[in-house]
Amino acid sequence: MASVPIMMPLLRPGAARLGRIDRLGWSAGTCFDAYGLRFGVRTNASGLLDRLGPHLPPGWRASASPLVDQIFSVWVDPEDARRSRVYVGKDRRSRPADLAQALAVLESEIRQCVAAGAERRTFVHSGAVGWRGRAIVIPGRSRSGKTTLVAELVKAGASYLSDEFAVLDARGRVHPFAKPLSIRGASGCDRHARAQRVEELGGCCATSPLPVRLVVLTEYRPDGTWRPERLTAGQAVLELLAHTVPARLRPEASLVSLERAVARATVLKGPRGDARDLAQMLLRSVEKAASRGGAGERGTT
Amino acid sequence: MNPVARREGVLVRELPGELLVYERGAHRAHCLNRTAATVFRNADGTRTLSDLARLLAPQSDAAEGEAVVKDALARLAEAGLLEAGEAAGGWSRREWVRRVGVGAAILLPAVASIVVPTPAEAAVTCVTSCVGKQDGTPCTCSGAPICTASCVTETCSEAGC
Repeated sequence: MASVPIMMPLLRPGAARLGRIDRLGWSAGTCFDAYGLRFGVRTNASGLLDRLGPHLPPGWRASASPLVDQIFSVWVDPEDARRSRVYVGKDRRSRPADLAQALAVLESEIRQCVAAGAERRTFVHSGAVGWRGRAIVIPGRSRSGKTTLVAELVKAGASYLSDEFAVLDARGRVHPFAKPLSIRGASGCDRHARAQRVEELGGCCATSPLPVRLVVLTEYRPDGTWRPERLTAGQAVLELLAHTVPARLRPEASLVSLERAVARATVLKGPRGDARDLAQMLLRSVEKAASRGGAGERGTT
Repeated sequence: MNPVARREGVLVRELPGELLVYERGAHRAHCLNRTAATVFRNADGTRTLSDLARLLAPQSDAAEGEAVVKDALARLAEAGLLEAGEAAGGWSRREWVRRVGVGAAILLPAVASIVVPTPAEAAVTCVTSCVGKQDGTPCTCSGAPICTASCVTETCSEAGC
């Protein structure tokens, strides 16, 4: 992971000023680009920047300019008497207990800004893997079991695209957003969720965008059995829209991406039980469809 | 008054056999099946209920056709997609099946609707929603009314919560 450049960020001319936040005594900063947006992070704790790299969005690049679209500010009490503060622009988002939590919050906030602001991509809150040159997309809310299912699919041989966002282009293809998987322990506690690289699961990341073959709308239920109903394209778009980050900001572009994503996909909805069993079923299902589809499909796994 | 479907402030996308309608102001999205879509497309203020019924099913009984159109208009009105015209419901589903038979149920209009999430709602995670809050704080990230596992307190140790 490359280290971040040291550079105090400045908002572009015309952007809303941050008022009193600017006067909190920032001593270090950095600037980076991601998905056509430019961000800055500043802090009063210079050690934070040394640990920042792994928390930036996949595909970030160091910026040569200090002018940015959005500034994230992390204030840490030097006397360790008060909680830290994370600001997005001038809005305080949370008061994490320590630097590790502050970095986790910062990471999540940056990813949300990328997901909302990237104009050439449509971010759908979803897990996604590749299999036989096609993507399997698993939309869902946090804690619906996306990461568990994605991990089982990867262990079964699928390539990893993301456990948080299906990043669609205007053709409806899914691009990799391969952040480490966020694996919660048995307690379900986010504080102790472990960032696990896909290689630790014995898998690999997809390297190119993939057309969608299967959309799986599911939630784990302890007594769940996978007996899904098949949705029409319109129903599928509506379901995906409920997880689409820029849907309100760019409805037309979002709808176009979603329509194209589901145009050649099977969309299944229903509760599930064990993720391992379902992973095997899903891969077999895509495999059958791929063999029916014939030649011309490129495998990535 | 002849029915008029909403045209202002909506984004309409055609799909095979369906129609997607996005309300820009209210940020609601609707999926109309073939029957509801036909009524929505053709309810322009110039067509009567009978005209719309003939468009839907030229061969069918006039009363049945109008009942379907009324049902479609009621559903469109409920979804906020009708500007003017009669929005009273036609027959109930049960009545429809009783009179016409299960086989014709495929003609029944359907409108599915959602409120489109804000960017924050669509991307929310327990990290952004719960960190720094007390256990038991209402959690918006998972659909559960109360988040107990991710709202971190000082009692949360490395051994787990």
